[in-house]
Amino acid sequence: MNLTSLVFALFCIITICIYFIVPKKIQWVILLISSLVFLLYDGSLPLNIIKFLLILVPTYFCGLLIEKNKENKKAKIYLTIGIMLIVGQLFYFKYANFFINTINLFLEKFNSENLINNIETNSLIGISYFSLIMISYLVDIYNGICKPQKNPFKCALFMTYFPILTSGPFIRYKDVEEDLYGKHKFDLNRLCNGLMRILWGLFKILVISERCGMFVDTVYGNLDKYFGTFIIVAAGLFTLQLYTNFSGSIDIIMGISEIFGIKLPENFTAPFFSRTITEFWRNWHITLGAWLRDYIFYPVLKSDSMQKFSADLKKRFSKKAVKKITLYVSMLVMWIIIGIWHGGNYTFIIGSGLLQFIFMVLEDLLEPLSNKINKKLGINKETFSYRLYQRIRTFILFSFSMIFFRAKTVEEALTIIFNILVWNPWVLLDNNTLFTAGLDIYEFRVLIISIVILFVVDKLSRTGSVREKLSKQNIVFRWTVTYLLIFGIIIFGCYGSGYNPAEFIYRQF
Amino acid sequence: MNKEEVYERLNNVFRDVFDDESIVVKPETTSKDIEDWDSLEHINLIVAVENEFGIKFNMGEVTTMKNVEEMVDIILSRVG
Repeated sequence: MNLTSLVFALFCIITICIYFIVPKKIQWVILLISSLVFLLYDGSLPLNIIKFLLILVPTYFCGLLIEKNKENKKAKIYLTIGIMLIVGQLFYFKYANFFINTINLFLEKFNSENLINNIETNSLIGISYFSLIMISYLVDIYNGICKPQKNPFKCALFMTYFPILTSGPFIRYKDVEEDLYGKHKFDLNRLCNGLMRILWGLFKILVISERCGMFVDTVYGNLDKYFGTFIIVAAGLFTLQLYTNFSGSIDIIMGISEIFGIKLPENFTAPFFSRTITEFWRNWHITLGAWLRDYIFYPVLKSDSMQKFSADLKKRFSKKAVKKITLYVSMLVMWIIIGIWHGGNYTFIIGSGLLQFIFMVLEDLLEPLSNKINKKLGINKETFSYRLYQRIRTFILFSFSMIFFRAKTVEEALTIIFNILVWNPWVLLDNNTLFTAGLDIYEFRVLIISIVILFVVDKLSRTGSVREKLSKQNIVFRWTVTYLLIFGIIIFGCYGSGYNPAEFIYRQF
Repeated sequence: MNKEEVYERLNNVFRDVFDDESIVVKPETTSKDIEDWDSLEHINLIVAVENEFGIKFNMGEVTTMKNVEEMVDIILSRVG
């Protein structure tokens, strides 16, 4: 179910209505039923149920067994079994073909004719999300952060809570336990707040993301036709497309969950106001970063073998150097995992993994040098212009890495980068050329205005909730903003080919 | 070992890890108060504290500690 589809809207409305009609004691049951419908309806039902139970049942029992054997060594064994089963399924469904293709690449090199066939894997929706969520559940029980859920149906709801299945955020059992199974009164204020957030998400997706996509698809789909400036614009617009689509989805998800009375953690905090890539990743996909930090980065750094490794290094290098080396090694491991998590393809491993790692290491290594240069030249880093320069630099670096993320293969990404070198900046000045690539001049104007709105709202959000700020304004202003948002989405939203209200509404003027 | 002693030894560990002789840790000190105390440096600090007191924090404690006071409470409960 697409988050912006009518089916999904209907599905949510029905769930919300029933949720507030039934006795509060069984509200969680309604959420469970809806979640199971959402999870299982696509594809073969019996197969889906098996796949679902294959994760739920072992995790549920491992959780109980870890708690029961807390005082002895068996807890660690059950934890390991639980994690292996979850990771095993995730790898089978998401990455089996990636490994088969990698092996085939080697086989081809040695001229073997016995290539391995790809296997059919239809994974459950949201497998990359609930797998990691269930791993954190088991580890948290092991570490004494939470108690296992004794009711298997309640455990199933935690695993499958439908709003987060498509795009996250990653939740932790301890944070949502009370809300998820608690009793929630209907609250008009919460409903309005939730709807406002959903509207903002729809605006981001339908007005900005889809519109960026029209240009990006045209350019990247015709690489023999578009060069230089076209690709630079497309790379920047793709970054915005990705951001508005992803964070817009999160807005819709958070809005729905807010209506239920279930608080979810924020996943984005105005990432494009970050001054470095390191800071950027603290504001982009925050819950994935936190998950990796707590369940991979810290344990790896703190592990006995890493400690032994750094103790060995200390004999040969200075304390500072050892700190850096161990840090970089663990960062490399983490970024490769982030790359793999995004999907079984080398473009992801390079784009959302290795390149980010390289940028962060370079930022760290070059900082003393840049401080020295700035001091010599008398440049003040705390000025608007310097901050702006840093933000634009971060945006460009991230957009560059996203060329790999967007490309189908590494070769294609390299072709795209090579094609950037074609010098044709006049397409920006010549009115008609730029507007031949999927977006005409009217569409571009709408896009630019909506991007400005996006950045203004993001800027405001850095000093507290924008909705709270809005609620303090007078009623006329509040309703004007709401109506503008609604009509903005209706009129300027892109609803796919064949149905474009903007086509016949605003063009006539 | 009493509380004062723990704070004194902890102070040395913090100064050593963050390379800053001016640090004075208080119960309410958090990562926000020390510039270099980010998630990357956090683990170095944890390991240094573990070595200083000969104890082990479990991963749950590492990720949920909110301020120095909580850290001191855990240290005191381990060293007795």
